[in-house]
Amino acid sequence: MAEEVLTDRVKEEISALAPLDIIVGIPSYNNAATIGSVVTSAQAGLLESFPDRKALIVNSDGGSKDGTVEAFKHACRDGHSLTIEHPVYPVHHLTTPYHGLPARGNAFRTLFRIAELAGARALLVVDAGFHGVAPGWFNPFLDAILNKEFDYAVPLYRRHKYDGALTNCIVYPLMRALYGRRIRQPIGGEVGISGRLARHLLTRNIWNTDVARYAIDIWMATAAVAENYKVCQVRMGAKSRDLRDQSSDLSTILVQVVGSVFGLMETYDSIWRNVLGSLPTPLMGDPCEAPMDPVSVNIPRLHASFQQGVRDLRPIYEIVFTREQLSELEAHASQPLDRFSLPEELWVGLIYEAALAHHRRAMDREHLLKSLAPLYLGWVASFARQTENEDSSKADERIEKLCLAYEQLKTYLINQWPLA
Amino acid sequence: MTEFLEQAVWGPLRELGQQAILNLSSLVGMLILLILGLVLGWVAKEVVYGILRILRFDRLADRLGIGPVVERTGLARSSSYLAGQIVQGLIVLTALLAGLNALGTPLTRNLVERVFLYLPHLLAAMLVLIAGVLIARFLGRSVLIAAVNANLPSARLLSGITRLFVVALTVVAALDELGISRTTIIVTFAITFGGLVTAAAIAFGLGARDLARDLLQSQFRPKVEKEMADTMRHI
Repeated sequence: MAEEVLTDRVKEEISALAPLDIIVGIPSYNNAATIGSVVTSAQAGLLESFPDRKALIVNSDGGSKDGTVEAFKHACRDGHSLTIEHPVYPVHHLTTPYHGLPARGNAFRTLFRIAELAGARALLVVDAGFHGVAPGWFNPFLDAILNKEFDYAVPLYRRHKYDGALTNCIVYPLMRALYGRRIRQPIGGEVGISGRLARHLLTRNIWNTDVARYAIDIWMATAAVAENYKVCQVRMGAKSRDLRDQSSDLSTILVQVVGSVFGLMETYDSIWRNVLGSLPTPLMGDPCEAPMDPVSVNIPRLHASFQQGVRDLRPIYEIVFTREQLSELEAHASQPLDRFSLPEELWVGLIYEAALAHHRRAMDREHLLKSLAPLYLGWVASFARQTENEDSSKADERIEKLCLAYEQLKTYLINQWPLA
Repeated sequence: MTEFLEQAVWGPLRELGQQAILNLSSLVGMLILLILGLVLGWVAKEVVYGILRILRFDRLADRLGIGPVVERTGLARSSSYLAGQIVQGLIVLTALLAGLNALGTPLTRNLVERVFLYLPHLLAAMLVLIAGVLIARFLGRSVLIAAVNANLPSARLLSGITRLFVVALTVVAALDELGISRTTIIVTFAITFGGLVTAAAIAFGLGARDLARDLLQSQFRPKVEKEMADTMRHI
């Protein structure tokens, strides 16, 4: 029998309101400054676009100490609202997750259970720290789930060409090559989920694992795509930069994010090993030309980090990569910055070898993932140098070229996987 | 006269002969046990080696970091072969001790008893050494990766020092377990490491005063941004 995550009081409250059409879930942790505006926008958006739908706004808090819950209650003077506290254990505070919200997985589990109990058709989860969310933001997501019957809707934000570098060079192309669906920002933070998918995800036994702890978004996106749920992307404007993801250092982000993608390759290996090529994902919403925040990248510093990594981490790379890859890496590391450029094939080969080494447990997995940091910085330096004088569309073309390299070299990964 | 010869010569000679036959049978028994041990040991080595090879023990040993150590030190041609050799050695040793015990003299009995009492210490010391090598390797790697990711120029040196320190500690603990000049080893270890730390501190203080000042300043005074900061988000 599944573990119950709601108290009897909460269950009674929800039963009294059921059936509901929409649940807007707002996971929070010390977001007193922003949660009020998120709630106000959600209420206005629901009233504007879905006045005839019965909705509930739920704040799932992870033990805030700055008055977040009070701010939420204060903002929810009209309409149905509910405050609950999802469990946060000491283990959740041991390592800061890349998204900055401890026990985010538990928040989702609680919201899924509420959606199930209320018989909700759509669940929209918005981060309480989301700056500048407008009432119009909610409509395309809920429209995709309620009217167009998609099961999983992820945002597609307008981003600077250097922003989200890890998503651009590993997460997006790798997930696209693996599962054959082009989801440009699979870990966008905000997400719309159908009641059907929420009920399904609730039954999965991942809630006490690192996937739920650190990478719930990656898991949900992977599960939705791999298990053939209807997925779409929703065009959004530029997301205001709160730099929350930089609360963790790069090596921790690599362990959490890349480690989760690699880990899910084990779970879904019978699926991705039968996929070649990729299909586009439907796009909802209108194109938006909102201005983006400027992003600066210190290319010489990244290049120096790459050079040091190739030089000093050789004993580790010898275990993970092939001799040819090592020689190529060393040849590129010896190049001066003005001629420095990492070829797509080399980069994809390195990531695939790292995935195989992770699979065969060639060494401690955390060591393996953390040792990728200098190589990643090298790729970012190379990409930034190549696109320094190019606009966003040219940079996107380069990312597309990289994605195609991932897809073309996937046969190697498929063949090597059982032998690893 | 006959009685005298019987008492003074033939009697002791007969006794000596009987004793020699008795000892010879013990000696032959010991040799048989030893030969049996050698044969059994060889067979056990081959069996263990074969089974471990089928079970891909060498790969596991490589992952744990034992394989490269075996390879580098030339202890054996592979980790699984080394495991076979250890089993062989234990069987031969047991046979030898059983053979010595079969001689039945107080000296050999005493020796066997002492060896058996010492064996647990030997085993514990071996385990301490193996654990030490593994821990040294793990910590060395952790330090190396953390230092490289923090852009410390002396990452490899730091990693090497960490490994050396852990291995040295392990060797001291293993020797202590074996009871080999316990006090001398601990004192030597303390003096060596104390000396090294003092020497390093003096060298750092005299030779790298500016560096020390800069380092402390960077730790305790607000940083002045010299380089352009990255503002990109990874996710």
